[in-house]
Amino acid sequence: MLIVESLLLLSLIAVLYLLVRGPHAWDRLLAYNAASNRIFVLLALIAVIDGRHSYLDATIVYAALSFLGVIILARFMERGGGHR
Amino acid sequence: MISNVLIGIGLFFVVIGTIGILRFRDVYSRLQASGVSDNAGLGLILIGLIVRSGFSSDDLKLWLLLFLLLLTNPIITHSIAKSAFVMRHGREDDVK
Repeated sequence: MLIVESLLLLSLIAVLYLLVRGPHAWDRLLAYNAASNRIFVLLALIAVIDGRHSYLDATIVYAALSFLGVIILARFMERGGGHR
Repeated sequence: MISNVLIGIGLFFVVIGTIGILRFRDVYSRLQASGVSDNAGLGLILIGLIVRSGFSSDDLKLWLLLFLLLLTNPIITHSIAKSAFVMRHGREDDVK
C-alpha cells in the first residue's frame, strides 16, 4: 500500500505545482479544489490502512469546509472580485 | 483482493487525470480532466477502502465521504466553469 500513497502524493505535488504556475485565477481555483480532494482521500487512505480511526472525522470536516471555501471563492470571482 | 483491484483502477484514473490537468491549456479542458480524475478515480479509491474496511464504524464514515465527494464535485465544477464563462465571455486571449 506504500505505492498507492506515494503515487497519490506525487499527484498531489503535481496539482500543487499547477496551483503555483496556473496562468489565471480559475486554474488556481481548480488546482486548489483538486488538491483538497486528493488531500482528503489521502487522509482516508491513511486512516483505513494504518488503523488510525480518528482521522476519518477530521477528513469529513475537511471535505465539507473545502467545499465551502471553493464555492465561496468561485462566487466571489463570478461577481468580479479582484478584476473591477 | 477486490479492494486492491478497485484501488488500482482508481489510481490509474487519478494519474491519467493529473497528466490531463497539467497538459491541457484551457480552463474548460482542465475542468473536464479534473472531473474525470476526481469523480472516477477518487470515488473508486474510496469504494475500494469501503470494501477493505468491512462492516464496521469506518464503513459509514467512508460512505458519507463518498456521498460528499459525489455531491459537491459537480457543483464545484459547474460553479468554476460558470464563473470563468461569465467573466471572460467571448474573449479569445485565454487560449494560448
